[in-house]
Order: sequence, then structure tokens, then C-alpha cells
Amino acid sequence: MSASDSASAVHDPVQSLVQSKFWIFVQIAMLLAVITGLELVTVYLPFMKWLLVGVLVVLSAVKFMFVIFYFMHLRWDKALCTILFFIGLVLASGTMWALLKLFGADASKPLTMALADRPVAVRIVS
Amino acid sequence: MSSQAAAATLDHHHDPTTSTGIPNKKLLMWAFLASDCMFFGCLISTHLIYRLHPPPGTPIARQVFSIELTSFSTFILLMSSLMMALAVNAIQKGNLKSMRWSLLTTIFFGCIFLGCQVFEFNTFVHEKHLTITNSILGTTFFTLTGTHGLHVLIGVIWLSGMLLYSFTGNLTQKDAIDVESMGLYWHFVDIVWIVIFTAVYLLEYI
Repeated sequence: MSASDSASAVHDPVQSLVQSKFWIFVQIAMLLAVITGLELVTVYLPFMKWLLVGVLVVLSAVKFMFVIFYFMHLRWDKALCTILFFIGLVLASGTMWALLKLFGADASKPLTMALADRPVAVRIVS
Repeated sequence: MSSQAAAATLDHHHDPTTSTGIPNKKLLMWAFLASDCMFFGCLISTHLIYRLHPPPGTPIARQVFSIELTSFSTFILLMSSLMMALAVNAIQKGNLKSMRWSLLTTIFFGCIFLGCQVFEFNTFVHEKHLTITNSILGTTFFTLTGTHGLHVLIGVIWLSGMLLYSFTGNLTQKDAIDVESMGLYWHFVDIVWIVIFTAVYLLEYI
């Protein structure tokens, strides 16, 4: 490649993007490894349960977003790809949230478990 | 300009020949992954629902799981995702040799992950006495992680096929979309594991 070709290659935004992605990917992989380590440490911290669950959800969401936007190229692709994937993701998340709310309610407790939760005296009387 | 440098200016993110501007293979893969999201969403929900109200006699998950092994598997899968991204980057630059090494490393990491899963299942069944039929925890756990493992196995077979195909001489920079679509599938397997690692394993330790 001549000097003029090198210069044109450097100024070509598509080619320079492909060149720069290598280090972006390496840096993101290191970041993901660090976040995984943080998640591991988090579960052993003596804090309130809701706080730890919140931190874990946020950390895994950050990892999720880094992978889909960088490794899966959504950041550089047309918005339609993002919309298409997020339709599935939102439907899945909505279904999960609804099911967990539904089955998390007291009325959804299995009868055997509800019975076991009652005080012994109440169980004997009933 | 040399042919390699000219080819390097190909824009792999936009395809002017389709009405959407997105290569059809990529669009198909994203639609499939969106549907697979809902599939795994249901499996994860089922597991979590039964963990909310474990029936009497359910084994204590914390005593069954090995967080060290699972963390190692997670790290391996993350690194395989990096190698897959580098493989796609290499074929987009027309560097076939680099793509082959990256694919080979991805396959290697995928096999390590599968090996860890086989070891984990074997330990659970024979040492912890947790099987797919003897408790709800076993049923939902093995169904969820087994389905994910099956996805990894399919990915490893696909990667191996692509690696062998690259030696026929028919895989060029213009076919980068084939490797990219395969990469999307592999990264999806990784993001599903990111959710499973938190929802199924880590939450048990809080």
C-alpha cells in the first residue's frame, strides 16, 4: 500500500471504525470481568437484602447492555435491530414481572406452605 | 489502492440492497433472538416462582451450588464472547488467519463451559442427590440450565462448521455477515447466562 493509500485508509471512517473496535472489545471484556468480580463480592456484603438485590440487578443489566450494544454491534447498527430485539426483551421482562407479582402474592402461597406458616396452636385447633 | 484496502472499506452495518438497509440474515437473527428472549424469560420465571414458595423437603440451593465453579464458567463465557467479537472484527477486515484463531479459541472456551456444566450436573446428581425428578428445584434448575447448555452446544457445532468451511476458500470478507450472524447467536447465549448467573445462582447467596 502506498503512502497516499495509507492516508486515505486512515481518513476512511468505516475502516478506522473496524481498526478501533479491537481495543474497544478488549477493554469491554476486562470491564465485564471486573463487574462479575464485583457481583461475587456483593453477595457476601452485610447489607440489607433489597439493596444487594438491587445492586446485583443493576450490575447484570450493565453487563447485558455492554454485550448487546458493543459485542453485538447494536451501537453501530440501524435502530430497527435495537427495536426488534427490545420488543422481545420487553415482552419477556413484562411476562416475568407479571408472573413474579402474581405468584409472589400471599394468596398464591401453596396451601401446604400457608398451613406450615400458621402458629402451631392455630394448626392444632383447625 | 490494493484490493485488500479497497475491500476493507466495505460497510458491514448497512446494506443498500435491502429495503430496511439491514442485511436480511442479520434481521432474521435478531428476530429469532427476540423470540428466544421470551423462551428463556418463561424458563427463568418458572424457576423463580418455585423458588418463591419452595415446597416442603426442597433441598437448600446454597448447599447444592458451587459458586466458585459457576463464577469460573461465567468468566470463560465472557472471554469466549470477546474472542467471537474479535473473530467478526477480523473477517470484516479480511484477515482470515486471525478469524480462524479467534474462532478456535471461542470453540475452546465453549467446550470448557460445557465441560464445567457436565461436571456440575454430575456432582449434583451423584453427590448432592439433586435430580430432575426428585424435587421442584431439580426440575426447574436442570430444565433451565440444560436448555442453555444445549444452546451452547449448538453454538459450538455452528462455530466448528464455520471454522472448517473457512478452509474451503469460499469464506471471504464479503461473507462477513455469515460470521456476524453466528456471533450474534453466541453473544445471545452469553447474555442469557449473565441473567441466569444472577437470578439462579447469586440470589441464593443473599
